[in-house]
Amino acid sequence: MADAALRPLVELRDVSKDYYRDKFRVPVLANTNLDIPRGEFLAIMGPSGSGKSTLLNLVSGLDRATTGTVRVNDVDLGSLSESKLTKWRSETLGFIFQLYNLMPVLTAAENVELPLLLTGLTRRQRAEHVKTALAIVGLSERMDHFPRQLSGGQEQRVAIARAIATDPLMLLADEPTGNLDATAAHEILDLLGQLNEEFGKTIIMVTHDPRAARRAHRILRLEKGQFVHTHADALGAI
Amino acid sequence: MIPVKYNLRSLRARWVASLMTIIGTALVVWASVLAFGLAAGLEYTLNVSGEPLDMILLRKGATAETGSTVDEATARRVAALSGLATDEAGNTLVSPELVVIVNTARRGDGGKANVIIRGVTPVARKLRSEFKLVEGRDIKPGVREALTSRSIAARFQGAGLGEEIDLLGQKFKIVGLFEAGGGSAESEVWTDVEVLSQTSKREGGYSSVQLRTTGMESMTALADLLENDEQFALKAVSERKYFAEQSSAGIAIKIVGRVISVFLTIGAMFAVANTMYGAVASRAREIGTLRALGFARRTIVGCFLLESILLCLAGGLLGCLGTLPFNGLSTGTANWDTFSEITFSFRFGPDVLLQGALLAMLMGIVGGMAPAIRAVRIPIVNALREI
Amino acid sequence: MKFLPYVLRNVLRNKLRTLFTCMSIAVSLFLLALLYAYIEVQDELGAKSVNYHRIGVVHANGLTFTLPISHVDKVRTMPGVKAAIPLAWFGGVYKDDKLPFAQFATDPQFVMQVFDELTLPDAELRAWQGDRAGCVVGARLAEKKGWKIGDRIPIKGAIYPVDLNLTLIGVYDGPDSSDREMLWFHWTYMDELLKQSRNAAAGAAGTVWVKGESAEVLPEVMRRIDERFASSDAPTRSMTEQAFQQMFTEMVGNVQAFIRNTALAVVFSLVCVAANAMAMSLRERTREVAVLRAIGFSRQLVMSLVLSEAVAIAFLGGALGVIGAKILFGIESVTSTLLPIMPVFYIPWSTTIFLLGVSAVIGLVSGIVPAWRAARLSVVDGLRKVV
Repeated sequence: MADAALRPLVELRDVSKDYYRDKFRVPVLANTNLDIPRGEFLAIMGPSGSGKSTLLNLVSGLDRATTGTVRVNDVDLGSLSESKLTKWRSETLGFIFQLYNLMPVLTAAENVELPLLLTGLTRRQRAEHVKTALAIVGLSERMDHFPRQLSGGQEQRVAIARAIATDPLMLLADEPTGNLDATAAHEILDLLGQLNEEFGKTIIMVTHDPRAARRAHRILRLEKGQFVHTHADALGAI
Repeated sequence: MIPVKYNLRSLRARWVASLMTIIGTALVVWASVLAFGLAAGLEYTLNVSGEPLDMILLRKGATAETGSTVDEATARRVAALSGLATDEAGNTLVSPELVVIVNTARRGDGGKANVIIRGVTPVARKLRSEFKLVEGRDIKPGVREALTSRSIAARFQGAGLGEEIDLLGQKFKIVGLFEAGGGSAESEVWTDVEVLSQTSKREGGYSSVQLRTTGMESMTALADLLENDEQFALKAVSERKYFAEQSSAGIAIKIVGRVISVFLTIGAMFAVANTMYGAVASRAREIGTLRALGFARRTIVGCFLLESILLCLAGGLLGCLGTLPFNGLSTGTANWDTFSEITFSFRFGPDVLLQGALLAMLMGIVGGMAPAIRAVRIPIVNALREI
Repeated sequence: MKFLPYVLRNVLRNKLRTLFTCMSIAVSLFLLALLYAYIEVQDELGAKSVNYHRIGVVHANGLTFTLPISHVDKVRTMPGVKAAIPLAWFGGVYKDDKLPFAQFATDPQFVMQVFDELTLPDAELRAWQGDRAGCVVGARLAEKKGWKIGDRIPIKGAIYPVDLNLTLIGVYDGPDSSDREMLWFHWTYMDELLKQSRNAAAGAAGTVWVKGESAEVLPEVMRRIDERFASSDAPTRSMTEQAFQQMFTEMVGNVQAFIRNTALAVVFSLVCVAANAMAMSLRERTREVAVLRAIGFSRQLVMSLVLSEAVAIAFLGGALGVIGAKILFGIESVTSTLLPIMPVFYIPWSTTIFLLGVSAVIGLVSGIVPAWRAARLSVVDGLRKVV
C-alpha cells in the first residue's frame, strides 16, 4: 500500500514502563510518545537511568511495555506471542551492542552467519550473504579469525556485519562506540552513516557520546523517562 | 539449528571443566559396564553349559548334583533305555558321573573356595560338545591323574599343568588342560570316576547321570519314564533348565552391579548439572545474544542439552574403552546352588556396551536438563547485561 | 577458626552449586558406606563371636562331607568342652520360597548351652525337648514369615531325601548382632526318617558345634579333637566360629579387592567433581582474592582458606551420605526390607569414621590446585581483571 510507505516505521503511543526493585515500583518511562520515520538515523541521549536502553528494548521487542502500544513496521508488538516476537525480531531487526557480544568460539564469518541460520537460505546462499556483509564492513580478509584475534573496532565491525546480514529494516545500536578508542569509534560511526545513507537502514542509536550523536539526523534527550527535544543544530553549542 | 561446532568449541574453551566432567562420567560408566560385563559373563557360562538335547538325572528331590546320589544299578538300567543318542562309533551317549567338592586355596590371596571334582568315564567328554584338550594329555584310567581348565589352573594353587593338587588327602597330578566353550566344565577338575570313588570312599554310587537324547520327543518321553517309573524314580531335567535354575550367584552379582550403577549414575548427574550450570552462567551474554538474534527458547535448550550429552558420551566412550583390558579375564564366585566355585569371564558384548552408552546419555539428559532450562529463563535484557 | 564465618559464607556463595557438589559426594559415599560395611560387619561379627568361644568341627574333606553322630558324644567328654551338639545343615525348601533360610538338625538338650547368648523361654524349651517333631525359630525369621507358635512348617528335603513336617514350638531371641533367623529341629527326628527310608545318610551329624569353657582352652581343644579323629573314617578339621564364618565370605571371591577397587575409582571421580566445582567458584572471585591479598592476607592464609572451603564442602557431602546411611540402616525395618538375605547388617562406626576421613581427603585433594592458584595470584592482575 502506498500509504504504508509514508507511515512512520516506529510508533510509540502512551508507552509506560515500570520496573520493580524488590517491592518498589520504579517508573522508567511514563506516557512516552514517539514517531520514527523510515530511513531516519536517530540518536537517543541521556544520563544513566534515564530509560534510553529501556526504550531500545521496547522497540526491539526484547521487553514489553507496561501500558501503551509499540508499533513497528505497522505491527503491534504487544499483540505478538513470545515465539512470534522472536521470529519477527530475526526478520526485522539487527542488533549492535556495546560489548560486541560475538560468540568467542566462532570465527568472524561464522558469527555473521548466525542470524542467517534462522532463515530458509541454503548453505551457498548464506555464504554469499556473509561475504557481502563482511565486504561492506571491510573485513573480508578476517573472515576466519576468532574474536580474540581482532581489535575492538574490528570486533564491532563484525557485529555490524552480523546485524546487516539478513538485510533488516532497522538497526538498533546500544552504545556502539562505548568501548572503542577515538579512531575506531570514528570508523564505526562512518560505517553506520554509510548504512543509513547508501542502504536506507533506519538506525536508532543510544549513546552518551555527543560526537556520536552528532552523526544522526535527530537527537532526542531522555531525562527521567521524559523526552526533552533538542534540534540537531542546537548541538553546535555543546 | 545452532551448529554443533558451537558446542564442541565451547566445550574445548572450558577444557578443564569439560575434562573433569568427562573423567567423572567415564569412571561411572567404567564401573557400571564392568559390573554388567561380570553379570553377562556369568549368565553366558550358565547358558552355554546346557546342551539342548541333553538331560541330567538326579536323585528325586535333589536340586543339584552335589546333593544327589544315583546308584550303579539304576545307572546301568538307564544306559539300556531307548531314545538315547549314540556317537559315530555306536557308543551310547550316557555318562554316569560322581561329583565331590573339595575346599582348596586360590593363588594370590590364598582364600579358599569349593571346587567341583568330577569323576568321569571317557564318554563324558562327548557330552560337552565344545570339549577340547588344549595342553598336555588326557588322563589314564585307574591312575591319580586329573584334567582341568586353563582358568582353574591359573586361579588355584596346585592346579597348574604338571602340578599336584591335593584331593581328599591324596595327590593328583594335573596332566592336561581343556576348554569347554566357556561352559560350567571349565569350573571343574576331572578325574577317573573309579579313582575318585575310591578316594572319596563313595563306593557304588554316582552323583548324576548325564545323557543325550535323540530328539525333543524322546527327551519328553524319557523324562516321563524316568520320573514316574518306580524302577528309576529319578529327577530328570533338561540341562538347559538345570543350569537356568542355578541363578543364585548371577542374581546377586546382577543386583549388586545394578545398585552400584544406579548410585554412581545419580552422583554423576549432579556433577554434570554442576558443570553445565557453570557453562550457562559463564555464557549468559552469549545466550542473551542468541535469543536477541531470534533463536527460539526451544532451540537454545536443545543446544545446551546436546552439549551436556556430548560431554557425557565422550566420558562414556572413555569408560567403555577402559573396560577392554578386562575382556575375557576370568574370575570365579560361589554358586550357592552347587555350593561350589563357578568360573566365568567378563563379557562385554554389544548389549553391555549399549547399556553403558545409554547410561551416559541418561546422565547427559537428566544432568543437563535443569541448567539448559535455566539458560533460557533469564530475561534477555538481564542476560545481555551480564559481564 | 576466626575465619570460619568467611569460609562458610563462601561455601554458601552459590547454594545450588554447593548443593549439587554435596549431593554428588553424598550419593557416592552412601554407596561406599554400604560396600565397606559389608566387609566390616563380617569382621565385627567374627570378632564378637570370639567371646562366645565356640568351635565348629568339620569333616577334613570339607562341608559337603558329614561327620558321624558318634563324634558328638566323644567330643562331649573331652576336657575343656562345656557342651557339644550336632549341627546338620538340612538345606530344604519351604513351600516355594525363593529365599532360603537356615535349617539345622541339632540336639535340644544342649543347644542353648552352646548358643548361650540366645534366649528361649524355659517353658518353650521344655515343650520343644518333649516334642520330636517340633522346631524352634529365631525371632527375626518368625517375623519375616509371619509364623506363630503352633504353626505347621513343612520342609521338603533337597540335600537329604526326606521331608520334614514340623510344628513351631518356640521362638528364640538374642542380641542385635546375633543370628535370629535359624530354624532348629530334633536331629533324632531327621535320623528316624532317614533310617525309615533306609538311606545311607542316616547317622550323619553334619558338623559338631562345641562350646569351650574359656578362650584359653580353645586351641588345645581343637588340637585334641582333630588328633582324636585323624585316623578314623571321618577325620576332622576344627576351627573357631570366626574362622568358620570367614570360610563363607572367602567363597564369594576376593570381595575386598573388588570393593577397594570400586572405591578407588569412585574417590578419583569425586575428586574431579569437587575440584571442578572449586575451580568454578574461584574463577568468579579473582578480584576478591586479589583484594584480600592487597589488604595483607598472606599467601599461606589465602591458600588455607580455599583448602578449608574445599574440605568443608566435601565433608558436608560425605557426612550427608555416610551418616545418612548409618541412620537409614539403623532402622530395623529398612534393613530387612532392602537387604533380606543378610541376617545382620548395619554401618559400623569404624566404617563411618573411615569414610568421613575419606571425604575430608577428597576435599583436600580437590582444593589443592585452586588454592595454589589463589595463593600465586598476582595482586595487580587480579584487581585489574574484569572477570
